[in-house]
Amino acid sequence: MIRAKAYDGLFFFYVALVFVFVFLPILTSFVFSFNSERFPTIPLGHFTLHWYTLAFTDADVWDAFRVSLIVSLSVAFIATFLGFCTAYTDYRYNFFGKSAYLALSLLPPTIPLVIMGLAMLALLARIGMSGKIISIIVSHVVLCSPFAMAIVRMRLAQIDPNLESAAWNLGASQWRTMREVIVPFCAPALISAFCLTAAVSFDEFAVAWFVSGLNKTVPVIILEILQGNTDPRINAIGSVVFVTSITLIILAQIIYMRKSTRKTLTGF
Amino acid sequence: MPIVVWQLVFFVFPLLFLLLMSFWLVKNYRMVPGFDSVNWIKMYGKGYFWDGYWRTLGYAGITTVITSVLAFPCAFTLAFKVSPTVRRWAMFFLIVPFFTSYLVRIFSWQIFLNDNGIINVLLGLVGLGPFSMLNTFFGTVVGYLTLCLPLAVVLQLISLSNVDRRLIEAAHNLGCGSFRTVFAVIIPLAKIGIIVAAVFCFILSFGDFVSPYYLGGSKPPTLSILIIDTTKSGQQWPRAAVVAITMIVTLFTIMFTAIALAYRRR
Amino acid sequence: MPTNPAQPLVLFDHVTKRFGLTTAVDSISLEIFEGEFLSIMGPSGCGKTTTLRMLAGLEEPSEGDIQLAGERINNVTVSERDTPMVWQSLALFPFLNVIKNVEFGLKMRGVSATERRKRALDWLERLEIADFADREISQLSGGQQQRVALARSLVTEPRILLLDEPLSALDANLVVRMQGVLTKLQKELGITFVYVTHRQSEAFAMSDRVVIMNQGRIEQIDSAKGIYRNPATRFVAEFVGANNILTGTVIAADELIEIETPAGRFKCAENSDHTWSIGDTTSLVISADLIRLSTSAVNETNEMACRFISEEFVGSIVTVLAETPDGADFRIQLQQRELSELDLNVGATIYVRWDSHDAHLLRDTT
Repeated sequence: MIRAKAYDGLFFFYVALVFVFVFLPILTSFVFSFNSERFPTIPLGHFTLHWYTLAFTDADVWDAFRVSLIVSLSVAFIATFLGFCTAYTDYRYNFFGKSAYLALSLLPPTIPLVIMGLAMLALLARIGMSGKIISIIVSHVVLCSPFAMAIVRMRLAQIDPNLESAAWNLGASQWRTMREVIVPFCAPALISAFCLTAAVSFDEFAVAWFVSGLNKTVPVIILEILQGNTDPRINAIGSVVFVTSITLIILAQIIYMRKSTRKTLTGF
Repeated sequence: MPIVVWQLVFFVFPLLFLLLMSFWLVKNYRMVPGFDSVNWIKMYGKGYFWDGYWRTLGYAGITTVITSVLAFPCAFTLAFKVSPTVRRWAMFFLIVPFFTSYLVRIFSWQIFLNDNGIINVLLGLVGLGPFSMLNTFFGTVVGYLTLCLPLAVVLQLISLSNVDRRLIEAAHNLGCGSFRTVFAVIIPLAKIGIIVAAVFCFILSFGDFVSPYYLGGSKPPTLSILIIDTTKSGQQWPRAAVVAITMIVTLFTIMFTAIALAYRRR
Repeated sequence: MPTNPAQPLVLFDHVTKRFGLTTAVDSISLEIFEGEFLSIMGPSGCGKTTTLRMLAGLEEPSEGDIQLAGERINNVTVSERDTPMVWQSLALFPFLNVIKNVEFGLKMRGVSATERRKRALDWLERLEIADFADREISQLSGGQQQRVALARSLVTEPRILLLDEPLSALDANLVVRMQGVLTKLQKELGITFVYVTHRQSEAFAMSDRVVIMNQGRIEQIDSAKGIYRNPATRFVAEFVGANNILTGTVIAADELIEIETPAGRFKCAENSDHTWSIGDTTSLVISADLIRLSTSAVNETNEMACRFISEEFVGSIVTVLAETPDGADFRIQLQQRELSELDLNVGATIYVRWDSHDAHLLRDTT
């Protein structure tokens, strides 16, 4: 650590400011979701669950949650699987065109979501597939696989390079080695990737907005409500969404940190 | 290697299709396949397109600079002045919001920045304001920051934590003051991470429509808003495709330039 | 354990391994017999690990045949060979506990769960770590993990065990202890151990025979003592032990061979199977611990006046560094006691001498 204690306090204050900036909107949304006043400002009104009731007695909102759930779970499964395959291929093999292969797998996050949404919409509409749940799933998998791939790849980087050879050496076929060694080793990363991709999918609004048509996901509903007047239902919906997402993310991170530090061997 | 197939079909192909589509025509609200560069000519001829282009470019550029500058002291503190445990928890808490409810946070900012919103009320208590913050560039920047700042901090942090402490000590040992060391030694060493963070900021702010739309007043429009307008009202998908392709090309150019610069002279 | 003169368990027949343009192993032929402890030793990059990996099936020979128990195994996959290996990094499965690690090989062979556990426990007891059966790997010390790795490889009761520098990362005192464990184990089990290392002390302490490799070729195969006392090539002479090498020309070939070197004339007993002729170039090798030192000339054969440079104190043995008349290094190893009795100063002239029968000649001088 670098010395100089006097103005360290300033630094810490700055960091606190950044954190306040990041978390304040979330906090206020949460607080105001229970506020009785229609327009959120201070002073606060009284505590109420009115907005929650209002939001969740709306069939559209329930539908949206249902769709979001289906989509994010499906996406999580597929993206994690694809991400795992890619990460393992990258780890194990060296082949012609590998850089191109990697670039392709990791490129999606660099394309603005609006454009992805438009592209997916255009293509799917052309082949008559737009507006279906499966279209959202497909689009989200494209977006989320890179994250899954990165997480699993990081975990594989920690593996003892001889672990696979040791399994073969002890009589395990390639397929068995995958089942008994690689997958168990990557388990924390796989779970983590699953949770993360589910969260990303659950929260993604731009592409979903373009592609979902009548099968709206929750973020799409939020977008639509946003376009109207200030509607406090958003706070209610948003808080629920936020709690869901954050639970998933926290789960992902904790599982990864806990399991991987406990079970990583670095030789001796 | 199923992922290659998937990516090819669902990622590359749609984008290629977009390119193709930009040459199609729209007659009576329906698209007609063809090869006509009229969309390109018309779009590039429109003043509002170029306005939007340079504006978006400028917004993204400014945001990148602002975000990078604001992120640095935070990343620096977390890299050098706290214990590893604190650092890990900080990273954890910074990554969390990145993936959650960008929309809701923007909505909250709407409330905050509103003329009758919390900030103005508080300022009113001390006799200041009210300041018009919504529907201004300021609002847009606040939105972009919400999107980019955590990521910038995390990326810069990773790079800064990997700086070899001994080099810093060597610099001090040779008489370089703490402040100067930051610019003379630390930043050059963490150059890659800082540039990567900046590139991501740029990409995100360049393509985002939520912030300029909901906090910036949506007029005059950025390219992303232009796409949405062109698509949702008017069904002019080919025109939207033109905007989209232009955006992609611009982004790739900037990305490659930045990375080339970053890896030059290693 | 005496080598079995019958058919070897493992045969390398002119095996070569190339990686792109580099030749890692260059046409080696080697026989490994049942029940022996064989070490392959050499500097890094000599091809010893590649050789071991080829035996395990992790690398495929570019040329040549490898036979195991009389059958050619070039095309047998890793999983199908029964050549368990103990890895340098141990490669224990971090997500399995101790006993499950040991059971792994049995599980792959379809042994029932109860049977597996019983056999695994037997082995853990044999290696004195049965108490740790249900622990996680990370809870064990380095030496204990070593034993788990051993148990895991031996539980399937193979005919041969491969070991790839397993003791390289251990502390010095642990190394000695593990050497004892390995030697005892090998003798009790009677199976073949093929042990790769770069450390002379390990190879010499445990093996029946040692193979010295350099740059992909085998330099010498012999017992430890044989290699130490009769290095066959210049490389072995320089790599093993502390030898002095004097190169010169043969000037007489009678009962004793006499050679003329820049440092003087020396005589050597003919103890190799080579017939020497006058005019042959050869190198004389004399081990540093067979040299006697005095401060005055004794005028025996094989005596040389050197200049004392320095002494290197290692414990009870001291290595004296001297300079020959023609400016080359010369090393003498003696007891610390002896040296202090001589009371030497830097630059003093010392007289080294040795018995003709203690030196020998190398056939090649490269």
